[in-house]
Amino acid sequence: MPSQAADPSAPRPSSWLLVALAWTLVGIPLAWGIYRTLRTAVKIF
Amino acid sequence: MAGLLAKERIIAKPGFNRWLVPPAALAIHLSIGMAYGFSVFWLPLSRAIGITQPAPGDWKISTLGWMFTLFFVFLGSSAAVFGRWVEREGPRKAGVVAAFCWGGGFFVSALGVYLHQIWLLWLGSGVIGGCGLGLGYISPVSTLIKWFPDKRGMATGMAIMGFGGGAMIGSPLADILMRHYATPTSVGVWETFVTMGVIYFVAMLCGAFGYRLPPEGWRPAGWTPPAQRSAMITTRHVHVSRAWRTPQFWCLFTVLWMNVSAGIGVIGMASPMLQEVFGGRLIGAAGTLKDLSGDQRAQVATIGAGFAALLSLFNIAGRIFWASLSDYIGRKATYYVFFVLGFALYCAAPFAGKIGSIPLFVAIFCVILTMYGGGFATIPAYLADIFGTRHVGAIHGRILLAWSAAGILGPVLVNYIREYQLAHGVPAAQAYNTTMYILAGLLVVGFFANWAVRPVPEHVYMTDAELEAERRLAHEAAPSKS
Repeated sequence: MPSQAADPSAPRPSSWLLVALAWTLVGIPLAWGIYRTLRTAVKIF
Repeated sequence: MAGLLAKERIIAKPGFNRWLVPPAALAIHLSIGMAYGFSVFWLPLSRAIGITQPAPGDWKISTLGWMFTLFFVFLGSSAAVFGRWVEREGPRKAGVVAAFCWGGGFFVSALGVYLHQIWLLWLGSGVIGGCGLGLGYISPVSTLIKWFPDKRGMATGMAIMGFGGGAMIGSPLADILMRHYATPTSVGVWETFVTMGVIYFVAMLCGAFGYRLPPEGWRPAGWTPPAQRSAMITTRHVHVSRAWRTPQFWCLFTVLWMNVSAGIGVIGMASPMLQEVFGGRLIGAAGTLKDLSGDQRAQVATIGAGFAALLSLFNIAGRIFWASLSDYIGRKATYYVFFVLGFALYCAAPFAGKIGSIPLFVAIFCVILTMYGGGFATIPAYLADIFGTRHVGAIHGRILLAWSAAGILGPVLVNYIREYQLAHGVPAAQAYNTTMYILAGLLVVGFFANWAVRPVPEHVYMTDAELEAERRLAHEAAPSKS
């Protein structure tokens, strides 16, 4: 009886950890840049 | 090394998570986005010899400002010239070359500062770095579109958002580094260039090595292409050498050109415009800018800088917002919104100035800037819809020449019209009104260009034989029949 094969296009569950790490690596500098810009931008209010 | 960069080496294995590709693209776009922030170097570089004040032999800021022209000319040109090469060789090789160009450009510029040779700066950051900008900018486009057939706009919007956000990281980082390296005999710029060159080189290499291509025929799990596709979204492919000869290409070129020209015009004049239109009212004082004391003018200038910063935030937010929205309402409808809403807002700006409403004035330009960013971020998906995904990176590369053209048209329109009006006795506070109406006129041209975009005729699409030849050239396997 053939076993039900996993969908090869579906990501491995463990890959989500790598996704979180990759987004953190680009997200931290971006968040820092946004924070610095916001500090300048609030001077208009 | 060559094998490591080959296209066939980066075909994703089963189980690969497609959400790893956007951060790789972001790493590259956040790095090259520093091009927008280069003005942070102008002041220190203008006193590289005098250190505390300009001395004979120091560069003028207007001379240094040519760097921006070089950036955008070489970005557009290299994207247009090398776009097909990027498609053929794959995103990893393109990303690595971009890292060498952008990072290496910083090193050449550092040498230029050290030897005080301006031509080395132009060559390093302007020409070599400009080529890195072009290659880096287009490197992830077709890859992301292939990984996210269900969210084309959102995927490219995420990457292109990075280009808008690069200066937000790079400018304060450069400022911190220059303060750190500054000595009584150095303004600290060449050392900053070396440090930033290393950082960007490493970040871009990480991004390039993070790229993966989906196997031919791959689809997201559980997703099937809609049975009833819009006529404006093709499933076939147009060759880049044929695409740019079609009216559709030139309509889309005009759409981007007009949208960007109007936005660039605003970005360049945002801070002085706010200060001149509202003058003392910005700090609760009476009178125009001319009537204020030195201290008051400094306060007004700080608010002007805050306005420019606020606009840059809306610029990047618009990239992800409008590009994602275009996945639901369609690309053509998204550009209709840009042109109709943009026209109304440009026409309303003089009214906001006339009634003295600072919040309304600020809100108008914040929304305008979202649509400026949105125009950049939505165009790759629009091109993929019209010309297919096969050569979309190369076609996108060619259409970026519209950006170079806008870099000339927008500022020229804004600056010359303002100077003409001031020379004819128009008060400074009202000198921007005519400019706003002319920028609104550009959007009318864009509206009709967008209206004229139609699906390409049958004979323009690539035949099966051409597609097969193209696959062989790109070292790709044929799609499975199943």
